[in-house]
Amino acid sequence: MSWRHLRAIIRKEINHIMRDRMTFTLVMFTPVALLFLMAYALTVDIKHVPVAVLDYDRSSTSRAFAQRTTEGEDLDLYAVVDCLDEVENLLMHGEIKAALVINPAFESDLQSLRGVSLQVVIDGTEPESGGFAVEHIVGRAEEFVGELLADQMRALDVSLESLQPIDLRVRTLYNPGLKPRIDLVPGLISMVLGMPALSVALTLAHEREHGTLEQVMATPVGRAELLLGKMIPYIIVGLVNVIVIPILARLAFHIPFNGSFPLFFWLSALFLFAILSMGTIVGVFIHTQPAALALSFLVIFFPGFFLTGIFFPIASMPEMMRMEAMFLPGTHYAVITRGVFLPGVGLDVLWPYGVMLVGLGVAFTAVAALFFRKKLG
Amino acid sequence: MEQAPPIIETDGLTRDFRKTRAVDSLDLSIQPGELFGLVGPDGAGKTTTLRLLAGLLDITSGSATVAGYDLARQPEAVKRRIGYMAQQFSLYGELSVVENLFFFSELYDVPRSELKQRTERLLAFAGLTDFKDRWAVQLSGGMQKKLALACTLIHEPEILLLDEPTTGVDPVSRREFWDILTDLYLGGTTILVSTPYMDEADRCSRVGLMYTGRMVICAEPRQIRAQIEGELIELRPDDWQAALALVETLPGVHEVQTYGELLHVFVDSGDQRLPEIEAALMEHGVAYRGIRRATARMEEAFISLIKRLEEGRED
Amino acid sequence: MFKRVWSLVIKEFIHLIKDWWMPAFMLFGGTLELLLVGWATSRPITNLPLMVLDQDQSAASRAVVVALENTGTFALEAEAPDMPTIQDAMERGEINAAVVIPPDFDNELASPKGKPTLAILLNGAESIPATAALRAVQGVISDMGEGITLRRLGLSPGAFSGFDPSLRVWFNETLSEALYTTPAELGLMLEFTVLLFAALSFARERELGTLEQLLVMPFSSLEIIIGKAIPAVLVGFCDFVIMLSMIHFAFHVPIRGSLALLLVVAFGYLLVELGKGMVISVTSRTQHQAFMLVMMIGMVDFMFTGYAAPVESMPEVIQLVANVVPAYHWLTILRGILLKGAGLDVLWPNILALAALGLVIGTFSLRYVRRALD
Repeated sequence: MSWRHLRAIIRKEINHIMRDRMTFTLVMFTPVALLFLMAYALTVDIKHVPVAVLDYDRSSTSRAFAQRTTEGEDLDLYAVVDCLDEVENLLMHGEIKAALVINPAFESDLQSLRGVSLQVVIDGTEPESGGFAVEHIVGRAEEFVGELLADQMRALDVSLESLQPIDLRVRTLYNPGLKPRIDLVPGLISMVLGMPALSVALTLAHEREHGTLEQVMATPVGRAELLLGKMIPYIIVGLVNVIVIPILARLAFHIPFNGSFPLFFWLSALFLFAILSMGTIVGVFIHTQPAALALSFLVIFFPGFFLTGIFFPIASMPEMMRMEAMFLPGTHYAVITRGVFLPGVGLDVLWPYGVMLVGLGVAFTAVAALFFRKKLG
Repeated sequence: MEQAPPIIETDGLTRDFRKTRAVDSLDLSIQPGELFGLVGPDGAGKTTTLRLLAGLLDITSGSATVAGYDLARQPEAVKRRIGYMAQQFSLYGELSVVENLFFFSELYDVPRSELKQRTERLLAFAGLTDFKDRWAVQLSGGMQKKLALACTLIHEPEILLLDEPTTGVDPVSRREFWDILTDLYLGGTTILVSTPYMDEADRCSRVGLMYTGRMVICAEPRQIRAQIEGELIELRPDDWQAALALVETLPGVHEVQTYGELLHVFVDSGDQRLPEIEAALMEHGVAYRGIRRATARMEEAFISLIKRLEEGRED
Repeated sequence: MFKRVWSLVIKEFIHLIKDWWMPAFMLFGGTLELLLVGWATSRPITNLPLMVLDQDQSAASRAVVVALENTGTFALEAEAPDMPTIQDAMERGEINAAVVIPPDFDNELASPKGKPTLAILLNGAESIPATAALRAVQGVISDMGEGITLRRLGLSPGAFSGFDPSLRVWFNETLSEALYTTPAELGLMLEFTVLLFAALSFARERELGTLEQLLVMPFSSLEIIIGKAIPAVLVGFCDFVIMLSMIHFAFHVPIRGSLALLLVVAFGYLLVELGKGMVISVTSRTQHQAFMLVMMIGMVDFMFTGYAAPVESMPEVIQLVANVVPAYHWLTILRGILLKGAGLDVLWPNILALAALGLVIGTFSLRYVRRALD
């Protein structure tokens, strides 16, 4: 391989990228914008969920209970209603997301130590809110009932501290409280940093459409030189975002970066190499830009979203998909970013993923170079 | 005198595209130092032929040798020895003139020591010295073509393959371009150029007419012009349709072509038929503004040939 | 005029067929993503690697481990010998949770006044599995706890059922997650594909140089716009119908409301997004640019679709802005008609808002695009 040829192609490509101001800005800026938009949408805390209360009992206990469940920021008491029809109406209009129904025998059931039944109606079209409401109500209810029963039991001279004898101590590492879901941010970062793959897929098709590829193919330039020459500038572009995005993420989301940045940088370069080589394969086979766009999405970005373990744990996937996931650079990079941000692990833990990225990159580039022919049509 | 082996030789070269046969059993033999013109109507197969010879397309059947290398087996070696210029503008618009030249010089491994000299020479040659820092997309059509030519010359190849290099260029630039080509030809470069302009064919050392993928005739311009049957009478009628209808029927008339406002009449003997035609026109009241003997040119020869071919196909 | 528009439409369709990747992707890409989303979200979280440090090694502690395994959420990775092993595994991301059973667990459990404790460590670097893990453990613990309480109180399970919340879910009885993510995905995909298609329409022609030719032909700019809009709308509408059928048949998403109303609103929404797409199309010089702009706008709308979190949980400002985002109303209507069976009487404010926005955006984009073409 001729370094002279490679340098010439890289130089040409960099000029090409930088001189198209608009596109350059977009290519640089879009990953950042996407990250922030997605991260914001996905990490918003659920609160102020509007609920209604239907109290058939109307005792002091039930009122105290209703009050207890709706105090605080999580649930907002939208209305106190008299019948189920009103509940249905409010749910239908989307004005409440859940309703608490207290049965008429609430107080007496509690006092006689019989089982207390409680009904929560939720809007199934938004289980996020609905499920949240349920958990919240159930939690508060357990506290409430527990306290009440504890008093009663003491009165009956039954020794019981609480209904829940087993003391469960929960400790969450790296993201105490599990909220907001900032752990998603590294995952999103790993997704968003792969965007240059799209540009790489498009650039070959672009040259084909504009005819510039013809002239270059008539020269003695090598296939690998051409392909690598197109990839490398975009790796550089991607690396700029590798530096900028974690800084911005720290500022905006207060997410800690506990690992070594130089390590992250070099591993990111390997990731870019791997994923851009996937984009190159698309560019080699597809001759028009819209088609290149379409295929990149199908083969790089959709799987990147679903199979890389960012949103859906790989452990839960069937065997075959787990194997497919191994062939995606995003899967390995997701582990790397996750490890570097929150736990802050080092090379000793991450090296196998780096190796996988190198392997994938080399394999994909080889496939691209093999199938790329310096011929038209 | 023994002839040197041909520098470009094809034997039954054929290229198919799905349903069409773009190049059909082409047998071509070009000597070193020739300025060979490839002419023919659109779709004749000129571009495909050039692309095949440049190693840009796969050969369907037959063989071709360029500069001693077999095209099917050693296309990359061929690419080093040739300069190819594509039909549509194929350079990088947002790179400047010198940047484009530099880019191609790198790809052709031009020795660094010679780069500056060659670049300056080529810029002067192409009249682009004053524009060397301008972006290629900002050049006029004619200058773009000259730049493209310069880029094919940077590695001083022995063979040039040029695909319609003057199409879409103003007449002055066209003339200048051909002056450059003639200079190169005189310097010993073998040039294979395709063109739709018949007058350019006249400037070649040999011309090949292609029609639906086949080479119909391949000879010196002089010989082709001689192909046309008879002598030419040029007539400027007021109503060419009437004149055409009349003159076609006259004795001794081989063929009548329209040429803008003019009618070109091919007769067996110019001296004899000219007064006859005049008389016939006046007799039938067909007005005209001029009539004279003229020399047949390439254009007429080709049109005549193609017409005969088309009539042959219709039979 | 109609003849001219018709010839343009034919030309567009010829292009579509020649470059069949693009419409194929539009029609099936969205559907594919929908499938993936539906499938992925309908799967429960299972097989999470779990480590157990059993310092008690009693029948009771083993019962806990078995109970945890039986939830299906966990796959027992290993029995850890000590804490450092667990911590190392956590750091490496090899396990999602670890349970530590203290040495006195069995004794405390057996004694009438005992307070048995259990510790669970969650890997917060992956909050989604961690939450699922926590829920599973809490479930197991609460069941065990109930059993203990009953035993200690000397009550039989029948007499004291403890605290029994019953959940009644409306509109989505099985609480299938797919039922709510797929409509959201559908709404988003429709927007995205129509936007992309429209955005590429002019940008592609400009990039390839054919736009100039089109403009010198005897078509008025309005005719050109309509000529391009018709195929986009047709393809978009087909896309919608395909995706709707898919989620209905594959994921059993019901269509409880009026299908006719839904189709009409969908059509209207298509036109709105088309308008936006065309504006992008004439402002971009290349297809690459057009695509990037579409991504960004699509993502902004993503936030407002309530896909990941309900709009009410967002700051007031954003909630106000949501009212002028067409996608917000579109999704409310979509969910309403599909899952709630809501009709005009309920949805009229959203439909009105959508229509109003449509009018404003439509007029603006029409004027803008016409001006750009002239």
